[in-house]
Amino acid sequence: MKPVRILVLLVLLCVSVTAQAQQLSADELFYKLRAKLETVKDYVADVRVKIDVSYMRVPPLTGKLYFKAPGKMKLERNGGISIMPKKTMNMAVSNVVPDGKVTIIDAGMETVNGKQLRAIKVVPSDDGSEIVLTKVWVDEALLLPIRTETTTRDNGTIKMELEYGKYLAQSLADKITFYMDVKDYKLPKGVTMDYDGATQPTKAAQAPDTKRKKGKIQIYYLNYKVNQGLSDEIFKDKDK
Amino acid sequence: MILPMLRLELYKIFRRPRTYISFGIITAIILVIQLAMLADGKSFIAFALQGMGEQFDIQGNILNGYLITYIILQSLLIHIPLLVALVGGDALAGEANAGTLRLLLTKPASRTRWVLVKFTATIIYSFAMLLWLAVVGLFCSLLMFGDGDMVNMKSDAFVILLKNDIMWRYFCAFAFAALAMAAVAALSILLSVFADNSIGPIIGTMGVIVVLTIFSNLGLPLFDTIKPYLLTTHMIGWKGFFDDPVPYTSIGWSAFALLMYIIGLLGITIFVFNRKDIKS
Repeated sequence: MKPVRILVLLVLLCVSVTAQAQQLSADELFYKLRAKLETVKDYVADVRVKIDVSYMRVPPLTGKLYFKAPGKMKLERNGGISIMPKKTMNMAVSNVVPDGKVTIIDAGMETVNGKQLRAIKVVPSDDGSEIVLTKVWVDEALLLPIRTETTTRDNGTIKMELEYGKYLAQSLADKITFYMDVKDYKLPKGVTMDYDGATQPTKAAQAPDTKRKKGKIQIYYLNYKVNQGLSDEIFKDKDK
Repeated sequence: MILPMLRLELYKIFRRPRTYISFGIITAIILVIQLAMLADGKSFIAFALQGMGEQFDIQGNILNGYLITYIILQSLLIHIPLLVALVGGDALAGEANAGTLRLLLTKPASRTRWVLVKFTATIIYSFAMLLWLAVVGLFCSLLMFGDGDMVNMKSDAFVILLKNDIMWRYFCAFAFAALAMAAVAALSILLSVFADNSIGPIIGTMGVIVVLTIFSNLGLPLFDTIKPYLLTTHMIGWKGFFDDPVPYTSIGWSAFALLMYIIGLLGITIFVFNRKDIKS
């Protein structure tokens, strides 16, 4: 029995060493991931956008979302009004995975929604970069980002959660949930002349709240047309 | 009996040139606002959206006919009651001033009926004015600026209404505004019963509306206790239709409060007028 046990132990040891050798380093994983994301040069997608920001009362918006690498994004709604986070922090995955020279730190394995993911921290070398630090949780088997958390210079912390389905092959998400810090919104009541009805404002409502609040934006991608060679003209601001 | 009396009152209102001055004033104000928005509306929108502009890009035809109409209605908050008071304040005091009140009361109709007829005639005039406002304000703005989703900027909320979900709100808002103007008409007729010339009730109505509007909008805790009972707090209930979700309970309560004001003010008017010693 003894030689058999030794043999089993040896086999297990070999398998473990081989697996260890096959696991990519954090650097390799990040650069492979970035290269994969960069294969999407542009896309047009039919989307449904749900905005959940404390001071905004916006119905779900449907429209066409145009994206062109590295950071152009536009939501077009057949003449309707569209709201998107500011250009500097738009919702393209490639925008929160920093480009250029970066420093990568391996943050080990973490469980996200019951799934084991590799966490890596990325610090851009460029001091002027809007992104200060990004943490990316990567599904190593699929080589896809599942969650990102980006600390920015001016726009607080932005978190993204990505869900994949029909467009997994193109590395494109079916749904992106975007969590961001939002500043408070106030206009003078003397200007807006709000209708409060018979209700009296509570003390909590009257107190100025200067703290940042959390906002959530969900984008459901209904279909994609990838790498069609979109013109820059599409992204030019039309008259407000 | 009532119909001929009403016809007579309407004839008196609509034969006076100053009645049409009101329509002219409304048209002029609307055109000025529309032209100003056409010339410099973009900077107005940029100013209004600057609080959000730091974090969000808002694109599309924001400056559309629906938003312009909302701005027009907001601007005319004070002016329309003044124009209603021009007719309501003249209803009884004008007759007294012209020396025709005694003659009027010799007719076989009760004083109560006369008050109700004059109130109804004033309401019809107010409704005609609102209809004119709707035609010139809403339809001309839509022609000039096109349609689109509507942005409603409240002091603490930013509301977007989809373009196919707006027109019914305007119909409801104009209907509510008609109720509010009926309350102003009742107030001006009440003041009219105390005076022998129409200047006093017209200025009196305006004074009451201006002072109460200040109390309603000043936002000082001192006025919070009385605010829910003020006429002007409920007069702007039409704005509730442009919120999401629509605060139907508040609007219903405001409509009820306006109705109570109308009944109360008319009741006092009838009571005073029935006891009044008519000397002219």
